[in-house]
Amino acid sequence: MSKGKVIKSQMLGATQKLKNEMGRHYLAIEQAYREGKPVAWATSGTPVELLYAMDVQPSLPENSATISAAQKYSQNFIEVAEDAGYSYDLCSYFKTNMGVTLTKTTDLGKGGIRKPTFMLSSDVICDTHVDWFQVQAERFKVPHFTIDVPHVVSNTTNKQKNYYKKYVKEQLWEFLDFMSDILGYEMDMEKAKEVANNSWDLSMVWQDIYKLRKNIPSPVSTKDTFGGLFPLFTMPGLKTPIKLYKRMYKEAKQRVDSGVGALEEENYRLMFEGIPFWYNLKFFNFLEQWGAIIVYEPYTYSFSKFMNPDITKDMIVSNPVESMAELMLSFWYIYDLKTRIKKFEETVKEYNIDGVILHNNMSCRPNSCGQYDLKKHLMDDFDIPCLIIDADMNDPRKLNTTQVTNKLESFIELLRERKKR
Amino acid sequence: MTKIAIVDSGVDTPEEILMAADIIPFRFFGDPSLNITKANEHVPPNHCIWARNLLERALNGLDADIKGLITTHGCDCTNREFDIWLECVDLDFMYFLNAPLKRDKAAIKFFVDDMKELIQQLETKFNVKITKEKITEAIKLTNKIRNLLKEISEYRSKMVLKGSEFHEIVKKVQQEDKKQTLAMLENKLEELKNKETFPEKMKRILLTGSVIDDSEFIKNLETLGLQVVMDDICIGTRYFWDSIEENGDPIKALSKYHLKKPIYSTKIPSLQRFDNLKHFTEKYEVDGVLNVAQKFCEPILYDHPHMSKAFKALEIPYLFVEIEYSRESFKQLATRFEAFAEMIGGK
Ligand code: SF4
Ligand code: SF4
Repeated sequence: MSKGKVIKSQMLGATQKLKNEMGRHYLAIEQAYREGKPVAWATSGTPVELLYAMDVQPSLPENSATISAAQKYSQNFIEVAEDAGYSYDLCSYFKTNMGVTLTKTTDLGKGGIRKPTFMLSSDVICDTHVDWFQVQAERFKVPHFTIDVPHVVSNTTNKQKNYYKKYVKEQLWEFLDFMSDILGYEMDMEKAKEVANNSWDLSMVWQDIYKLRKNIPSPVSTKDTFGGLFPLFTMPGLKTPIKLYKRMYKEAKQRVDSGVGALEEENYRLMFEGIPFWYNLKFFNFLEQWGAIIVYEPYTYSFSKFMNPDITKDMIVSNPVESMAELMLSFWYIYDLKTRIKKFEETVKEYNIDGVILHNNMSCRPNSCGQYDLKKHLMDDFDIPCLIIDADMNDPRKLNTTQVTNKLESFIELLRERKKR
Repeated sequence: MTKIAIVDSGVDTPEEILMAADIIPFRFFGDPSLNITKANEHVPPNHCIWARNLLERALNGLDADIKGLITTHGCDCTNREFDIWLECVDLDFMYFLNAPLKRDKAAIKFFVDDMKELIQQLETKFNVKITKEKITEAIKLTNKIRNLLKEISEYRSKMVLKGSEFHEIVKKVQQEDKKQTLAMLENKLEELKNKETFPEKMKRILLTGSVIDDSEFIKNLETLGLQVVMDDICIGTRYFWDSIEENGDPIKALSKYHLKKPIYSTKIPSLQRFDNLKHFTEKYEVDGVLNVAQKFCEPILYDHPHMSKAFKALEIPYLFVEIEYSRESFKQLATRFEAFAEMIGGK
């Protein structure tokens, strides 16, 4: 298939500041260690807000693992973990983190991480999170709290969701007790409200940025969102990332107002499901040669967690602990198959999407499970072109670049043919 | 009699609730001789092969007397694949039982809530009344069964009952009408009391790991001189080790029983599974521990390095294998098992 002229997407100027913002986060971690303040490891999907509310510095191993990958160290760490007996088939985030700790890597630039005061995990997204922290808590001999979140499936009723919520709420209070026992002080409710307020605002600006992506051409590409998502799960509750997102929004809005897109020439609008390949983000630029742009990623959107229409800012701020239960149960990333199909179909319409790329992530069974059925429904019921690619978010050994490139080429060809219809 | 199929990656489904509704709890097993095709259209290649096999079986058609299904939460596989079952398996009643990950007070309360919901949905669907009295009656029956199984299990260690035969017995109990299995177990126990030890000298193995539902796998070990004298698997001691409280609220008793019995790798803290295994190695004087993971079984894969290290520290021989859930792989595995058998000391 003949390629078009080389057109490069433009990252927003504000996104360049993301490095500083994340730098601030890592600095805060360093400072906490220096000053002997409490630091907690947390898995994604947990209420990190409650850590901030308790003056505990969060440190997210998944985030560190992406740095290892981006700096091309992840494979090495993964292999160290495999040498220690962890299977080739286990999650590569876990193995990166295990390799980092086995090699005692603390250099933040390599994705290094240190022993925390305690750990917080949850099975809301995957069991791996819990198994991972269990193993690490045992190695480091630190306390570990897990929030067990019942799984919502396609036929879960509202009545069931209510007692699911009750169970999660109870554990959230237990978690506060757990922290108080370790730290020797109670949570300041006013602080918790302020954190909740900031977290809400941060998410809302992110959602506003997303709304702008509905425009044709889209002002924002994955160059802004793949990395741009990090503050959402490392710093929900702080003020500074809100400023960064607002700048991103402002600039994107200007682009929209002047009819400028992230891509000079936008031919195909795509949706990307799954975690990107952090070790090869450039790979996504490859799509640009055909004027194809990814305008929606459930993964980066899902971390702006306040998307349940039944939840208001008031509810979050006035009840910063218990409201987290509702959020944990209605997280985009864990939607049941039926809801996922519906949500995909709606999104494709809203964002004028031409095709969907689904990443069958070798690491992530919870995410890849159901993808075949999702694809089938989108294609058969709604005539939405879909492509599944097999790879892994942190393990470069599992991405066959030639194979995936060929698949993408054929997919774009298919989209081109459809446009001619 | 109506049957309800149980898909459980552990053994955490309260069968007594079904029995109280005069329904036969029918634990669903895989079939290692199946050629997997249909399930591959739904489940990506690197997902648990045992769960894939179960789906294939279901897609090939279920027996007419199976009127419903309960999938019990254990690992990521069970809850995500349940949605696929909902999509393509033709059954009117399908319930996802959220057996909790944790085992504390809040979890016990939650499990009670979820069991109550199950009861209500069963009552509505099958037009039955599941009373507490009937559940208690069922508990008394399953307690008897558990006690018998526990007694029979000991004959493995006495080298009177082959591990594979015992495995087949437990499978039967998990699939058939409990009243009938009670009589079968009583007879078996009587028969065992008068039986001689088997003549061949065998090494004593403690079996742990994923769900193992193919008795042939254990038979294969026996041909290589390895006798499973003890286990901590779901089609094994985890099914009958403890008893359920017979007094008081039966639903709470069921919840407590399931959350207090010997821990499995799908629950937290799963690393405590080792403590139970260690106790068994001492009590049953085992020559070695065999940890078997169905290919892609994450819970076992996470626990294995810890176990390996811990058994090494105790100087107890430990072998970890991943299996393909097909009998064709037996030959290949035999080399490893033979080497293991040679390495471990016989008594
Ligand atoms: S990639 Fe998947 S399995 Fe790994 S930590 Fe993330 S959600 Fe869990
Ligand atoms: S074998 Fe392992 S992965 Fe498969 S269903 Fe059982 S616990 Fe889950």
